[in-house]
Amino acid sequence: MDQAQPALVLNSEALPRTAVNETPPKEANAAGNAAAASTTSDEQLMLAFSKGSSYAFDELFSRYKQPMFAFFRRRVSESTQAEELTQETFIALLRAAARYEPRALFRTYLYAIGFKILRAHCRKAAFRATFFGQRNSAPDPAGRDATEAGLWVRRAVEKLEAMDREILLLREFEQLSYAEIADLLQLALNTVRSRLFRARTALRNLLEPPAGPATPGAPQEIAKKGERA
Amino acid sequence: MSTTTHPFTPEEIMAFVDGELSADRAQSISAHIEQCAECREIVTTLRKTSAALSQWAVPPVPGHLEASVAAAAATNSISSEQLPWSTLWRIVPRNLRRSTFALVGTAALLLLAIAISIPTHRSKQFDLLLKERGRQQVGLTKQERKSVKALAEPADGKDSHGFSHWMGDQAQSSSSVDGHAAVDLSRTSVRLISAPMIARTVSVSLVVKDFDAARGSLDTILARHNGYAAELNVATPQSTGRTIQASLRIPATQLVAAVAELKALGRVENETQNGEEVTQQHADLVARLKNSRETEQRLQDVLRTRTGKVKDVLEVEEEIARVRGEIEQMEAEQQTLEHRVSFATMDLKLAEEYKAQLSSPAPSVGMQLRNASVNGFRNASETLLGIVLFFAETGPTLLLWLLLLSLPAWLLWRRYQRSLAIS
Repeated sequence: MDQAQPALVLNSEALPRTAVNETPPKEANAAGNAAAASTTSDEQLMLAFSKGSSYAFDELFSRYKQPMFAFFRRRVSESTQAEELTQETFIALLRAAARYEPRALFRTYLYAIGFKILRAHCRKAAFRATFFGQRNSAPDPAGRDATEAGLWVRRAVEKLEAMDREILLLREFEQLSYAEIADLLQLALNTVRSRLFRARTALRNLLEPPAGPATPGAPQEIAKKGERA
Repeated sequence: MSTTTHPFTPEEIMAFVDGELSADRAQSISAHIEQCAECREIVTTLRKTSAALSQWAVPPVPGHLEASVAAAAATNSISSEQLPWSTLWRIVPRNLRRSTFALVGTAALLLLAIAISIPTHRSKQFDLLLKERGRQQVGLTKQERKSVKALAEPADGKDSHGFSHWMGDQAQSSSSVDGHAAVDLSRTSVRLISAPMIARTVSVSLVVKDFDAARGSLDTILARHNGYAAELNVATPQSTGRTIQASLRIPATQLVAAVAELKALGRVENETQNGEEVTQQHADLVARLKNSRETEQRLQDVLRTRTGKVKDVLEVEEEIARVRGEIEQMEAEQQTLEHRVSFATMDLKLAEEYKAQLSSPAPSVGMQLRNASVNGFRNASETLLGIVLFFAETGPTLLLWLLLLSLPAWLLWRRYQRSLAIS
């Protein structure tokens, strides 16, 4: 029965998880790269990069540029800011390469860097807004380039509590495991699970039409109702 | 949910959907879901929610990002040809880093030691220079004494003329009027007046190994140079070395030699020399004294030669007594000043190099414990009292400032938190 199967990866930018030194799946994006690179795990590539291989960095960048950009794009207001933060993350990766030790998945390591950079960015933005009165020009993350249905979903996500929202995004879009999320956000595993359930329940309630015979889950319908609301 | 009892919580079902359960547990839940419509509904809802979230698409990454990261990668490349120093440092193994730290620390300590030793070396050279100058000064004094002695002897016309030329017209006129004896007198007085009067003070701190020997040598040196101790204190504390603090008076002419001998007693820790020129002060004092004496003489003459009322006589006598008092005061000042010039003041601090004694009569363990307890209690009570006093003294002010600053700080903090939430 298909319902008994675990959830599939929903988003194109989310990569399947691979264990340390495990052969990665063949579908790992490797456009324009050699076949050997596509069979190398992220951790092996990172180790090679820490020893000076620039090709390994190119490969890692091609694998993670879209996920990292999407990670930032869903959390900051401007596309240019997301680009800058993505660039900053990879530069931080470059600088920290010599210190890299394969104790965890490379993906978790990279998202941890990205998360720190994002928090620093948020702090700076809040500081500027507090003391210099500068406000974000477009407070909606990914607002301009979202589809109508996406806009409605995003509005619903924004209404969630901050930590619940973050856990939900990390799970749904970055496809991090509960343990990885707990590690990244410094939370207990059970807390992550309960908060994730709470976030999903709240999101379902937000996305559900308030009344009427509309088919639940139909994006266009949800979007239209959202627009009316 | 209905009243049906489910063996699994909705969170577990969610974890199953997310693939976060173990194989056994997942199998159990899967079997339950096949039979339970409500749990199947939960799974469906979760999947729908995830599917709805997938509507939030993000456009592809801009092409120029790759170029900018590539440029950054080129500048931050960790290839061996372009390694920046910071990256190089990170590549250095941790144990090697520690040894590098140790090497750098040792080098810094060596530099510090050199920096400390250079001034010490220079101060030794300075001492040697001072000794040399002292010898030269002593030599000059002897020469001067010889010349003065030669001048004091009956000299022929040539010598007299030469000296007159050296001393100026006044000495020449004196020699022409009063002869050789007067010439000698004027020469000496002029020489004495023209020489600067300097009250010298020296301060020396010494550390000696043999305290008793140094103490004896101090007395010997003082006796040899005709000096004396104006004040002398010897301290003998229990846990540190003995010390002498003395204020010595040494004839100015022998000061350099005496200082050199005293410094040879031990290691010089500190030395200060000062010279205060009191020539002008002395000259003023002499002039005022002369005027006062003349005034006194005139008053005496008035009292002796003139006659008048008793009241006038009494007034003159009062004036004479006042002038006399001033004269005596000024004479005392003159003597003190001349004494300060002729006898230099030396503040000597002589400390013993302390050696801890193994066989020193240490107090018993019980007594030590008692003393430590008493000291500890005293320290604790003093600290507590200090804290209480501090807050009693500054508490109101601190409270006031806290009240003044808390409101804007709270407003800023709330604004910051709001901005953080928005961003």
